[in-house]
Order: sequence, then C-alpha cells, then structure tokens
Amino acid sequence: MTTEARKTHAIDINALNRADKSGRDKFDTCISVQDLNLFYGSKQALHKVSMEMPRKKVTAYIGPSGCGKSTLLRCINRMNDLVDGVTIQGKLLLDGEDIYDKNINVAALRRRVGMVFQKPNPFPKSIYENVAYGLRIQGINDRRVLDEIVEKSLRGAALWDEAKDRLNDNALGMSGGQQQRLVIARAIAIEPEVILLDEPASALDPISTLKIEELIDELKEKYTIVIVTHNMQQAARVSDYTAFMYMGELIEFGETSELFTNPSKKQTEDYITGRYG
Amino acid sequence: MSETQSSAAKSTLLQLSSSDAYQRWRLLKDKIVAQAVVIGGLSIILAIVLIFFYLLYVVFPLLLSSHAESVSSYDAPEPAMGSTVFLSMEEQNEIGVRFTDTGKAVFFAVADGQVNRIVDLPIPEGVRITSYAHGSVDKGIIVYGLSDGRVLVVRHEYKLSYPESKRLITPTISYPFGTEPTVIDNSGQALSKVTVKVGDKNTSFLAKTADSRLVFVTLGKKESMFDDEVTWERTDAVLDMTAGDVDFMLLDKEFRNLYLASRTGDLTVVDVTDKSEPVIKHKINVMKQGGEITSMEFLNGDISVLIGDSRGELAQWTIVRDKQNHYSVQKLRSFKVSDAPIITINPEQRRKGMLAVDANGEMGIYNTTAERELIKEKVADSKPVAVTLSPRANAFLMQTEDGKIQHWKVENEHPEVSWSSLWQKVWYESYPEPDYVWQSSAASNDFEPKMSLTPLVFGTLKASFYAMIVAIPLALFGAIYTGYFMAPSMRQYVKPGIEIMGALPTVILGFLAGLWLAPFVEVHLTGIFALLMFVPLGVMIFAYVWQYAPNAVRNNIPEGWDVIVLVPVIIFSGWFAFELSPVVDEYCFGGDLRTWMRTEFGIGYDQRNTLVVGLAMGFAVIPMVFSIAEDAIFSVPKHLTTGSLALGATPWQTLAKVVILTASPGIFSAVMIGLGRAVGETMIVLMATGNTPVMDISIFQGLRTLSANIAVEMPEAEVNSTHYRVLFLAALVLFMFTFIVNSLAELVRQNLRQKYSSL
Repeated sequence: MTTEARKTHAIDINALNRADKSGRDKFDTCISVQDLNLFYGSKQALHKVSMEMPRKKVTAYIGPSGCGKSTLLRCINRMNDLVDGVTIQGKLLLDGEDIYDKNINVAALRRRVGMVFQKPNPFPKSIYENVAYGLRIQGINDRRVLDEIVEKSLRGAALWDEAKDRLNDNALGMSGGQQQRLVIARAIAIEPEVILLDEPASALDPISTLKIEELIDELKEKYTIVIVTHNMQQAARVSDYTAFMYMGELIEFGETSELFTNPSKKQTEDYITGRYG
Repeated sequence: MSETQSSAAKSTLLQLSSSDAYQRWRLLKDKIVAQAVVIGGLSIILAIVLIFFYLLYVVFPLLLSSHAESVSSYDAPEPAMGSTVFLSMEEQNEIGVRFTDTGKAVFFAVADGQVNRIVDLPIPEGVRITSYAHGSVDKGIIVYGLSDGRVLVVRHEYKLSYPESKRLITPTISYPFGTEPTVIDNSGQALSKVTVKVGDKNTSFLAKTADSRLVFVTLGKKESMFDDEVTWERTDAVLDMTAGDVDFMLLDKEFRNLYLASRTGDLTVVDVTDKSEPVIKHKINVMKQGGEITSMEFLNGDISVLIGDSRGELAQWTIVRDKQNHYSVQKLRSFKVSDAPIITINPEQRRKGMLAVDANGEMGIYNTTAERELIKEKVADSKPVAVTLSPRANAFLMQTEDGKIQHWKVENEHPEVSWSSLWQKVWYESYPEPDYVWQSSAASNDFEPKMSLTPLVFGTLKASFYAMIVAIPLALFGAIYTGYFMAPSMRQYVKPGIEIMGALPTVILGFLAGLWLAPFVEVHLTGIFALLMFVPLGVMIFAYVWQYAPNAVRNNIPEGWDVIVLVPVIIFSGWFAFELSPVVDEYCFGGDLRTWMRTEFGIGYDQRNTLVVGLAMGFAVIPMVFSIAEDAIFSVPKHLTTGSLALGATPWQTLAKVVILTASPGIFSAVMIGLGRAVGETMIVLMATGNTPVMDISIFQGLRTLSANIAVEMPEAEVNSTHYRVLFLAALVLFMFTFIVNSLAELVRQNLRQKYSSL
C-alpha cells in the first residue's frame, strides 16, 4: 500500500518537474528544493519535495495542519537543526549553493535568510536594541550606522511613525501587531535575501493582519518571500506563487491565480473549495 | 406525558446542581481554602516578626542606660569612735562596716545605719595607727600600719545562716596573722604608708617608714606535712629608691609588680618577682599635662592601674608589650569626671569597671573595655571622705565630711557593651595595640571579656565569600549548560541528581569536611592547586583536539550528550594533578608547599581553614543555586532563542545576549539565596573552620562565623548575662543581614521580573 502511494507520488513529482521545466524561463530561481526528505526520528515528515521558488516574489505554502509546510519553510534557514533527532536527505540550494553542505556556516546562512514566526517574539530589550540586535551580532556597533539602519528598517516595516518617539521603551510594551512589524524590521535590518514568514498574521487582529499583508506587498520589491499560511484568502491576496502540500508531500505548485482558479489536482481543488482542511 | 417527564428530569438535574445547599457548600469551600492560605501566609510573617522581636527583646537591655538612685541617708554610726578610714559592705548589701582611725570596726545596717556590732581591733597599748590600706578588696583585708613599725592585718567576713528560714548575716573580724601585730620594719620606725597583698601562699607588705625607707616584706606560707602547723618564711628587702615622694603604693596579686607613685605624677614600676631583690623596671611621669595624682587603684585583675588626678581625669595605665617584646607603661584611655580632684576610685570586683568620686561630690561609673561613662551624677554637696562599692557593684555607700552616710542603689547591668566595644578596635589590657577580638570567657573571674563582633562578621563574610567563589561559577555554568545546551534526555537525570546533593544534611558535609577533607587538603595542598589548573587546561586541550577527531567518533555522541566525554577527561586531569603534585612539591617548593609558604612569605597554615570551608560550603550551596538558576534558564521562552538564532546569532551569542538577560531575575535570586544560605550556614563552618575568631584574609587561616559562634557559646552563656545578650545580638545581626540581603534580592528580582513580565 505504501509503495503504491510512493509510486503515484513519484509520478506526480515527475509531472511537476516537467511543468516546472516548461515554465523555468518564466522566473529567476532563488531557492531550489531537490528531492528533500525529512525525518523526525523514524517518522518521515517530508516526502521527496522538489520545487523552485522565484526571486523577489512571494511564494505561499498552503495546506492543512501538519502537512509539513512549516517544516519545509524551516528547512530553508536550517531551523530544523534545532529539533532533536532530525535527519534530512536531498538538496536545498540557495542561489545555487547547497545549504546542507557540511562546510556551510549556519549562522551566516541564517543572516541571509531571515525569519518571522507565528507569535511575535521581540527580545526583552528596547525597540531600538531589538532592531539593532542582528547588526550587533555581526559586530556592527557604530552608533551612527546603527541609527541609520534602525530608522531605515523601521520605515521599511511601516513602524517608524509609531515607534520613533519611543525607541528606548521596552519592545514588550507594544501591541501584538506592532511587535510583529518590529520583528519584521528586525529581520530586514540585516538585509537578508530571503524572508521566511511562518503564519505571520495568525495571532493578530484583522487590522494588524491587513497592515502585515500590505507590508509583504512592499517587501517583495526587495526580498524573496516565502510565507506559510493556512488562510487561503491571505495566500491568494499576497502571493505570486502557491504550493499546496498534503501529508508531507508537495501536491501542486504554480502561479497563485492559476492554482486557485484552475487547480490541476483533485486534492488541491478539494482543499481550496473547503472540502477538508 | 413524556414532555412533563423530560422537564421533570431537567428540573431535578438543575435542582441537583443549583441547589442552594450545593452552591453554598461550593462557596464555603472556596472561602475556607482562601482563608487557610491567608492564615498560613500571615502566620509565617507573624513567626518571623515574633522571632525578630524576641531577639530584640533579649538584646534590648544592652541598650538601657544605667542609673543610680539614693536610697537612704543617715548619720554615720558611733561618730565618737573616730573618723572613717574605710567603708565596706558585704555582698547582700545588708551590712556595712566602717573602720576608724582609732582602730574600731563598726558594723551597721546599710539601710538605716543602725549599729550591728562594734569590734575593737587589738592595737597594742601606746601604739598609734599611722597608716592604713586595704589589701585585696575582694578578700576583705585591711592593714593598719603602726607607729612601732608593725602592722595589724584584719579581715572582715560575713557568715550566712538561716535561723527560722530567715537570712541572717553575721559579721566577724579575723586576723590572718594573729592578733599580735606583725613586725615589718625591724628598726621600729613608724610606718607612714603601708600596703599589703594577701595571696594563697604569699603575703607581701610594702611600707614606707618615717625615715623614708621602703621596706618590702614577704611572708611565704609553709604548711607542715604532718600536722596543721603553719610556719612563715620571711623575706626582707629594702627598695633602692628614695621613698620621700612615694604617696601611692600598690602590689599586684601575682606578686610581680609594685606600682609606686608620687603626687607629682612619677610612676615607678618595680619588679618584685625575686622577693629579695626588687628591680626598678619603669619610670614614667604620668602627669605631663599638669595636675597631681590624687588617687590610685588597681582595676579588677591587677593588670592596669587607675590614676585619678587633681583635674578630675581618671586614666587607665598598664604595662604594654610591643611586637619587639619591649615593655612600656602606656595610657590606654581616660575618663573625665569633672574639674575637681578625684578623691576615691572604687574598682568593681567582678568587672572592668569602677566608681570614682571627686571633691565636688560628682560621682561617675565607668567601664574601661567599653570605654563608656555609664553614670554621672552629683551625689554629695559636701566633700566625700570614704566611698565603697558593693561586691556586686549594685550599690555604694559614701560618707561625706558632714558625717552623713549615703546609701545609693546602682542599676548597671551591662556596662561592657558599647558601640566601640562591639564594632571598633579596643585596646585591651595586655594587648600591644587596639585590636578586634572576640574572647567571651576565660577561667578567671577578673578576665576582661572581649566581645567584638567584627571578627565574627568578618569570618561570616569571609566564609561565604570563599564558598560563593567555589559555588557560583560551578553552579551557574552547570545551570547554563544543563538548561540551554544539554539534551533533555540527559537533563532529566542530571538535574535531580544535583538537587539530591542538596538533600545531604549539612552536619554530614561538615563532618566530612572537618575529618576527611581538612586532613586531605593539608596533605595534598599542591594537588588541590594543581587540580584548579589542570582540569580547565585539560578540558580546553581536549576540546581543541575533539574538533579534529574523526567524524565517526564525533557523530557517535548525540547532540547535547557531548559533556559525557569530558567526564574521563576531568577524572584523568584530576588524577594527573595529584600524581604530579609530589614532583612539583619536590622541585618547586623544597618538598612541602606549606613549609615553603611559611618560610618564604610567612603565610601560616591551619588545618581547618577557609579553603576547606569554601570547598565544603560551596558544595552545600551549589545544588540550590544550580536548581534555581537552571529553572530560570530553562524557562526562557523557546521563541526568543529561535528568534535570535534565526537572525544569524550563534548559540553562544544567543546565550549571552538573550538567554542570560531574560533569565537574569532567576539567576540573580539564585545567587542571593545561595549567599543567604552561606551566611546562615552553621554546621559546616562549626566543624570545618576551627572556630578561631581571627581577622586574617589568608585562605589558609581559620575563622569563626556569627552562626557558629552562637552554636558554640550559647549553651555555656549564663542566661541574661551580657555574654548571653551579646550572643542574641549576634543572632540579630545575622538575622538582619540575611533579611536585608533577601529583601534587596527580592526587590531587584521584582524589578527585573516586571521588566520581562510580558514574555
């Protein structure tokens, strides 16, 4: 039974690859996932996932809870390394470089691939120090440089007007939406190439969600963005490409408009029409 | 029908759950629990407050001021029998006695002056009394010098009996050398000054004759082995000095030194260790600032002399041996009574205090150790003639020129305690210089209690300091590793394991520290220091080598278990350190580090020392500090560490900039609670410090802490004595110290916690 499932799955991937090949010249690949398997102990969480994500576009992962979309996202900045008993097979290329190569510097990789989590996680420091954190980590302590980048990042995260008069206040005194934008400012302060957003608006109220979505729209001019969401409307609103995952497998990947209006897989259609998930 | 049934069923369910009784019961339970919690909390606070107030209650009398009050005043009994040369009273303050210049002893009731008994002293016919002095006041000895060169030694004693269950005090007069006066000056000159000291074996007389010789006679007691016959062996000497200007003479009870002084202030100390050949040891003028000596007495113990002068100053002088073993006569301290000459000085018989009265009738009671003026009061309008302080120093009698005797009560329970005697350097008798000393008791009665809390506080801080030096790095680094790096599967064994260390009774730790660790450290001192060097070195070398170890070996160790490979490294480097130490000893320290330290640097080594205490108490403190700090580090929210790592921080940067910062309230309180524990710890310091209250920062010296001091001395302290109350004061100091440390810690912790509260 399992082998059979595997077989069909393999066929699917091949089909996908063909589809991708046909459309490859449509975009400039930033992240390339090749036959990625991931195991938590003996339990396989990702099954031979292969996909390519375009530069300076928004790619959304959708799928029901536990489908592996967050796991896949966390593979991109190797956050899964922190989980006990994880083994990863396959390749994940960032700008053509395998990030699972043993010579890779994980800390340097994570500087290039920023991440924003579901729950806002500002440090118990001032707003200023939160934004400056990533820079100080890199050894930048020049006050003038920091001032400049902090302002630029806060502006970039649409937080400057709200925060400029309270830069030395504790970040924990901000509202949830503000905290999430602060975390985004913190992520863009170190000028990453890619920003990973793991359900960034799921803990926020509608107005804050709207602000985050607008922000994502602005950010894609400069950064490659990968977002995990289980809100399909949100995926439809903010993303250029969408990947649908189910049970650790990539079911379908394509342009958002295409995938939502004309899904090629029945599972995708079932999910986006709300039959399960 | 079915509808009514269902509604009936519904209503019973509602009735069951919302019946008044049930609702009330729920509320009642809630209230009872709430009250129980409140009562529990309040009773803890109450208990602490009560402990505090009990300590304060016991200590409080130390702070009460002393006072004297006049009880009665009456005409001196039998004024016809001559004027008073000595007043005295017995221990119960019931019977007083006045010795007159005509050789009468008039015993009277202290309360009203009623005559109890009159004794005619056996002064031979045709002989006049030319001088008089008291021998030891506490022995009731009086000596009369006579005009024929003889002396009569008189002792007044009091016998207690209880006829009809009532206390009856019967005064008696006895003659230790018989009723026949003893010949002092063989040439029969009148004795114009005389002094005597009666000891168990020896009795020495010093007399100044009319022709200005100083005759020193010692009678050694020889008891026959076969019967009770007593014979006296007499040694005669004449002091080789002009006696003309000797006005005051004292002989100490050890029969070692004679103190002779003239009115003009020349004090001469004569060594009479060899009774036949007195040697003049010191000559000094004690009145360089002007004025005249008007009275001179020994302070209790006969080590210091008290000199009262015409300017109203009362000074304590003693022979001081300095560090070069030179002796000199030094003034330790002085008191000012008033501007009038001091007439009499009456030392207390059981403490280092005295009562002095001057010509204006100003009376002052002082304590030398505490350097304290306890009472100052004008007690007479006319000039006092004779004063006596009762043996218990709780009353005094004073006769004034107008023939009145005044009876005063003195309330002076704790004169030895003052801010300076507790906390500052005090120049004790026989000490080369002022010092901090704790020595609360001794075999003799006239010992000077030295109750400086400073060495104890110092010892407490020193012991806790070294314990913290041992405990804090180990506990905190251990907590950081366990809470942040260690695999959860390993942590679940390590954490309870270390916490069980804390369950070890400290008496066992103290026992091990005192009986096993102390001798071990003494023998392997070099090894201990080598251990401190080799273990970190070994770990670092191993860590460096480990990087280059083949992957096959490295990957075999699961992440977070890597510390396990350090265990053999630590054991090996420890073993290596101890193996190497004899070689190091041999080549660097000439065979023994302790001897080398003593000869090269003069650093002494006690077996029970601070190093041992630091190790043992550090071991006791580690589990608590580790446990609290580890909890704090482990409970730092994961989303903060992942947030930091996702920003490209290394694990070390994340630890230093986020984890420790966020866990700081917990880490801080861990350190403070550890400190509080170390300060209050008793059993380990009691058993491993040697309990020597020395103030020496050397790690190889012992110490005594406040807590150990209380444990050691409380059982032997007389209830409500000064010593007892000072021990309670030590407890109060300890209590306040831990209270302040813990309160400060709590304040800082609250503050920090508020800062990070919304995590």
